[in-house]
Amino acid sequence: MSAMDGLAGVREKRSSRRSGPNGMDRRAYGFLLLAVLLSFWELSSRAGWIVSAYWPPVSHIFAAAIAQLAGGEILLALASTLRRAAIGYIAASVAGIVLGIVLARNRVLRYGLLPLIEIVRPMPTPAVIPPLILFLGVDDALKIFIVALASFFPIFSNTFTGVAAIDDTLIQTARTFRTSTVRLLARVVFPATLPAIAAGLRTATSLCLVVAVLSEMIAGSSGIGYYLVETQYAMRPDLMYAAVLYLAATGYALNRIFLALEARMVPWMGRS
Amino acid sequence: MSRRRERLGLGLLGLVSPVLVLCIWEFASRLGWTNPVLLPSPSQITAALFALMTSGAIAGPLAHTAGLFVAGYVLAVLIGVGIGIAMATSETLYGLLEPLVEIVRPIPKPALVPVLFLFLGIGKATMLTLVVLAAVFPVLISTFQGVRGLDPVLLETARTFQVSRARTIVSIILPASLPMILAGMRVSLGLALVIVILAEMLAGEDGIGFRILDLERSFQVRDMFAWIVVLVAMGGALTKLFDIAERGLVPWRGRS
Repeated sequence: MSAMDGLAGVREKRSSRRSGPNGMDRRAYGFLLLAVLLSFWELSSRAGWIVSAYWPPVSHIFAAAIAQLAGGEILLALASTLRRAAIGYIAASVAGIVLGIVLARNRVLRYGLLPLIEIVRPMPTPAVIPPLILFLGVDDALKIFIVALASFFPIFSNTFTGVAAIDDTLIQTARTFRTSTVRLLARVVFPATLPAIAAGLRTATSLCLVVAVLSEMIAGSSGIGYYLVETQYAMRPDLMYAAVLYLAATGYALNRIFLALEARMVPWMGRS
Repeated sequence: MSRRRERLGLGLLGLVSPVLVLCIWEFASRLGWTNPVLLPSPSQITAALFALMTSGAIAGPLAHTAGLFVAGYVLAVLIGVGIGIAMATSETLYGLLEPLVEIVRPIPKPALVPVLFLFLGIGKATMLTLVVLAAVFPVLISTFQGVRGLDPVLLETARTFQVSRARTIVSIILPASLPMILAGMRVSLGLALVIVILAEMLAGEDGIGFRILDLERSFQVRDMFAWIVVLVAMGGALTKLFDIAERGLVPWRGRS
């Protein structure tokens, strides 16, 4: 269980303990609260309690969201953000898993590379962007690199600690059978580390979207992060809030897809 | 004994590769292999850093960033732990807040930076709100999980002895779920720093984030790298401090 799991994991356990209808009742209050808050927002704007150009009624935001969808611009922006996030994520996964396994198993490489990784790790992602702009420009190369850099660390460190925690008997057994190093890594170490790797990948999944958006805000010419800043400058709060809605939905969907994939690929996950 | 020696060896060997990289970097820029406009040598960056420290120019932005971070982080931890415990111990509050939390949580927090700037204006209050929003959820979720995962015997024992609710929370629930709370706080630490820097960059008023972006745009690359070194040192120091605090608070952790 990690901080990324949310309340859902615990909730399932709970509902089996308590009676179902009672739980449903309680959550209904929560949705009622949401509805009250939203209608309060709508009312405050309509009735002119809050006179501000940045406080559009909720209905306007939903209307803007539907118009955006019909216009297609938001889908284009989302697609370009997701493309960058995906490329960076895949690159980070490959690098993180390979380096994590290799560094955990090889002492010389560990002493050589781990200090360098530890130095770069505490750097907040936005701070890396300005110097990288000088080298990579403001195009895809920059954003993909930043996504990859940010996603690399959770994948790497989870893999690394996962390998270190493998039951030594597994490795000794393989060695007894004179398994080659490559085969040992691919057939014994990798599958045994898979749950730890999956945990790192999950953290990186939500991170890659965040970082893609963030890099587009600082150095953008397309994508949803740029769209957000653009609508801020253009004083179109309804479009901006609607874009945030889409972004939230995307983040939620990514997490769900990941959990579904994880359950399929690593079925022994979380059964410890 | 051998463990200690290995750790010492790792410490010394660990210095080898960073020093090597710095030497190669220094030589490469001395020999003119790199473009000095884009990548100054380590000695030039050190000189810029030194100038920054001796002139006292470091104080203002550092205080701005650190102040924002500390205030936001502390608030987020207090709110996160408070709501987390409340939601885990009270069914009514859980039902009331769960949909709200689950809707706000998946929003990528950087997306809220322009939203809140527009909404609340650019200022300290907005930035503080952003840091709190970014840092509160990992603390809240792991506090919740920690409290829910407590051994029920603990709570039932307290009930048997008719311990009051407030006392149960302070002397049983809080200490027992501390490891989980700290795990959430660790995630929040990095997130909060990211958001502080991003908010400073986009607000364009003060702070290390603003300095870095501003110096890049005016091509004062040496100073920019010096500020990045300051930031890395700050991030590293915060992580170290957190490690020390965690070891002091939950000494039994990581010995399993």
